[in-house]
Amino acid sequence: MPADVDGYRAEVRTFITEHAHPMAREGVRVPVDRAEEVAIRAWLAALYDAGHLGAGWPVEWGGGADRHLMHDLVLMEELILGNAYRPLDQVMLAAHAVIEFGSEAQKAAYLPKIRAAEHIWCQLFSEPDSGSDLASLRCRADADGGGFSVTGQKIWSTDAQWADMGMLLARTDPAVDRHAGITAFVMPMDLPGIDVRPIREMTGEAEFCEVFLDEVRLGPEHILGEVDDGWRVITSGLASERAFVGANAIQLQRMLADLVLLASTARLSDGSTAIEHEDVLATLASALARVEEVTLIVRDTVDRILVDEEHSSDGPVAKLAYTETNVALCELALGLIASSSTIDDDGIEVADRWRHNFLWSRALTISGGSSEIMRGLIGRQLLGLPRA
Amino acid sequence: MGLTSFCVPEDRGGFGRRADAAAAAASELGAALHGSPFAALTAATHVLATSADPDADDLVADLLAGQRVCAFGHFDQSRRRAHLLDGVSGAEAVLLADTDRDEFILFTDPSAWVMDPVPHGFDVSRQAADLVVDAATGRIIPACAAGDRLHGLLLAADTLGGVQRALDRTVDYAGQRQAFGRSIGGFQAVQHRLADHAVRVRGMRLLVNDAARAIDADDPTADRAVALAALSVHSGATGVLHDLVQLTGAIGFTWEYGLHHYQRRAHQNARLAGGTRSAASALAIAEGWRDAG
Repeated sequence: MPADVDGYRAEVRTFITEHAHPMAREGVRVPVDRAEEVAIRAWLAALYDAGHLGAGWPVEWGGGADRHLMHDLVLMEELILGNAYRPLDQVMLAAHAVIEFGSEAQKAAYLPKIRAAEHIWCQLFSEPDSGSDLASLRCRADADGGGFSVTGQKIWSTDAQWADMGMLLARTDPAVDRHAGITAFVMPMDLPGIDVRPIREMTGEAEFCEVFLDEVRLGPEHILGEVDDGWRVITSGLASERAFVGANAIQLQRMLADLVLLASTARLSDGSTAIEHEDVLATLASALARVEEVTLIVRDTVDRILVDEEHSSDGPVAKLAYTETNVALCELALGLIASSSTIDDDGIEVADRWRHNFLWSRALTISGGSSEIMRGLIGRQLLGLPRA
Repeated sequence: MGLTSFCVPEDRGGFGRRADAAAAAASELGAALHGSPFAALTAATHVLATSADPDADDLVADLLAGQRVCAFGHFDQSRRRAHLLDGVSGAEAVLLADTDRDEFILFTDPSAWVMDPVPHGFDVSRQAADLVVDAATGRIIPACAAGDRLHGLLLAADTLGGVQRALDRTVDYAGQRQAFGRSIGGFQAVQHRLADHAVRVRGMRLLVNDAARAIDADDPTADRAVALAALSVHSGATGVLHDLVQLTGAIGFTWEYGLHHYQRRAHQNARLAGGTRSAASALAIAEGWRDAG
């Protein structure tokens, strides 16, 4: 671990305090109006300018020479602690895929615009019939002249309604093994034939989108990596997110503090606060133990990532532990709210946040590989059990 | 093997303070369902060896040489009884904490006490007993908070080792046992639960390791870390172990297959540790929640 991590933490904390655009609620990313969009882009660009984002890129594309994975983890932790708007796909997936698989022309075309936050990226992977089983995707990219004609439907695309660029997976060869016939493309979202429709989710927000593609014309300059090699492009890109899993521990620690705040402000019918009762203290203690378990699990995972000794099941273990504990904490909080007759003024906001987080917690156990997929991966890769 | 000397100062012939090694040993003994009174003995030896009481020197030497066994427990308020004394198999000495007076009392004359192991026979792998003894026949030893801390850590580590072994056995079984033409470990109803248990047990293990590290480092949060490990292990083990029996089917329900031994021992460890209630209470104080209202 580099010696200056504490110093970096202090630096980035100050930066966030002075410049950050706030995160309205967990999972709420889409700007409400043009003014907020400008503010979000300015904030993301500031993170790049200051060398906090994009610091792990090659130096020729603006990266820092001594950037360490720990710095990225500290940055993400501080963004969570500071309730700052957090970057998503445009950094974690698109940039890494372009750096690793893009041509020099693609790097020159896209990396500077990511740094300037001129380009927000979204990913166009899932389809109505291809969720957890992503390799079954059917969106077609048919060779057409020197380029491709893309037709199909994508879904659950975060940020698609305001993204400038999309990273697309489409089937270029339906005849071969299903993983082998997929190609990754970079796709400007303003091309003719693209129709983006936000979906209203159970939280009441409309964060995810359906994206309809009708004979969208892409050229050879839009192919990312090799034709029919798209599976490798996106699985490699996802691998670059690994160390960020460590930041989830901070999220849980924060939630635990919110749970204590809720228990201290929720009053029962006799006027006592919930936290004065033994059963609530026992509940809080159990929640604390779970949070500490998961904190150690993700730190243990990060420790192995840092020395490049990660086991293939570490990511699934950390994701399952974090997302399911997140759900469990939300359920406890809702139980506390339901059992209380009034909530003191300074607890109203946190109670609202818990209600939102309770609904949002399901997004985390479903997206990015559902809990059921994670359990299957753990069963096979850690326990050595046969494929279900 | 010198296992009792992990937490004995080096000038007394021990390894200094190696709670991590002691916890690893406790886990292996728990996994093996070993009958030795390791947790009690290690805690008692630690208290006596750090007390610097010259009259305890002979006993410490015997404990380190494996020639005597010392049981470990707590006096009740009457100062005549100790409920649920740990490490009684072959015990020729008894060390009791007197929490009201913040001291320990050592008894070295077996004719001065009466032990009754009958109420505590649920765990068939180790012996515990209730004890009747007159406090006046004992010798006062200065208080040592680390004794309880260490005992708590080793009880959690013992259960952890048992749960891990039971899980490993069940994973092996699920991979081999055939039903409907395939191994049952390939069925999601079985595989997914085993995955959940593996994640939970990993969390328990990391908390136990962290508590051992905190003790060894003289970390001021060591009591909190032990309480977290105890709460995690003693609240989680029962459910995991019981579900492992379910996943092993009828063979798992037999005495001979033996998964029940881990359940019995885990229950006994939880009782010895004061249950989850005691750990939760310690955490409420450590976190300042009792004042938070």
